Amino acid sequence: MAANNTLGYIIVDGNDSLIRGAALVTDAKGFPVDFVRSEPLRPDQLSRILYGDSFGKYAKEKLVLESLLDAVETDPQLWICNDPDILEPLRVNSRIKSVLLEESPHVPLDAAGHIETTADPGVFLIQANANGAPFRAEFPGGVKPEEIQQTAAILTEAAETMNILEPFTRVEKALSFLASGVR
Amino acid sequence: MGLRDFLARHISRHVNVYRVDDFSVEPPEIVRMIKRVDVERMKPEISCTVSKPFDLHEMTERLKAKAVNVKFTGKNAEAKSYRIKRYVKEDVKTHRHKLAGRPQIKTVLKQSQSLPVELPNIIRSMKKRPESLKGEAVLACYGPIVEGSVLKLALNKQRGTLLVWYKPGSRQLKAKYVYLIRRLGLGGKPEWRWE
Repeated sequence: MAANNTLGYIIVDGNDSLIRGAALVTDAKGFPVDFVRSEPLRPDQLSRILYGDSFGKYAKEKLVLESLLDAVETDPQLWICNDPDILEPLRVNSRIKSVLLEESPHVPLDAAGHIETTADPGVFLIQANANGAPFRAEFPGGVKPEEIQQTAAILTEAAETMNILEPFTRVEKALSFLASGVR
Repeated sequence: MGLRDFLARHISRHVNVYRVDDFSVEPPEIVRMIKRVDVERMKPEISCTVSKPFDLHEMTERLKAKAVNVKFTGKNAEAKSYRIKRYVKEDVKTHRHKLAGRPQIKTVLKQSQSLPVELPNIIRSMKKRPESLKGEAVLACYGPIVEGSVLKLALNKQRGTLLVWYKPGSRQLKAKYVYLIRRLGLGGKPEWRWE
């Protein structure tokens, strides 16, 4: 089910010995409407030997990310991630607009909704809010110009009612909270 | 031999003979010699253990070879026949090793809804301040916050952030910014103002 004015935040992190992830879908205020998280994935020694160096990437994309996307019941209008490793598979598996978003040290652009290209292919500056620096937005390969425009429009609209990057902090807090064993 | 005996022996051909009664040497013991060879039937048991990789206990096969009718002749030993019994403790099993699979996914919406939205102080990045705040010292600015949906606000003094708990299910979307101000010249306490 797709819901309007929702943003999805997805985190998959860890190392070769422990990988975990979580996906949070929020309403326009940043209030959670769906939240799923994975149990920590602890691969055994044999799996690590058989998959070799590619295990971390395989586990992030194929095991944790796909499982999270399958479990999310409320599809957001835009998925936001903070890890370049999962940007492409996020777009491919979710079939929803996806972007890697982070703060930039750039000076503010002219106005909210403004987009500026950068020297890096697929990377743009998006001024979502009238205040503060623009976001550094990285898109999956082969993204169409209209999708970049649509993404900027979604972010600009959301920035009127919520802090766009704040939910990442909450997802990480929630994962730490759940990992601590306190329920 | 004395001189008398010498002369008697060579002149008169007379030899004195003495009787000897005391033999000090015992006659040799005569023992009957019996040549006997013990012949034993040899029935050696041979066992060997074959191990396979991974699990020695489960993968072990036992082979027992039992030699029978082994006879030793005078010249050499010859095994005329033998029988091998094969004992397999368990069938040889193949194991499908379960590689790392998909992790279990849990929906924990309630826990996530109990966490507050944590907003940073954005006073430094504000391009311009509301006209209504002119003449007042603005200490901090937080937002955007949907005022009508707020359940509770709390200032995290250590981090300088504002914690916002929203009412679940609220559909209001009119956002504002909340300012922490201190009125100049009055020496008053800091106060919150929505703009």
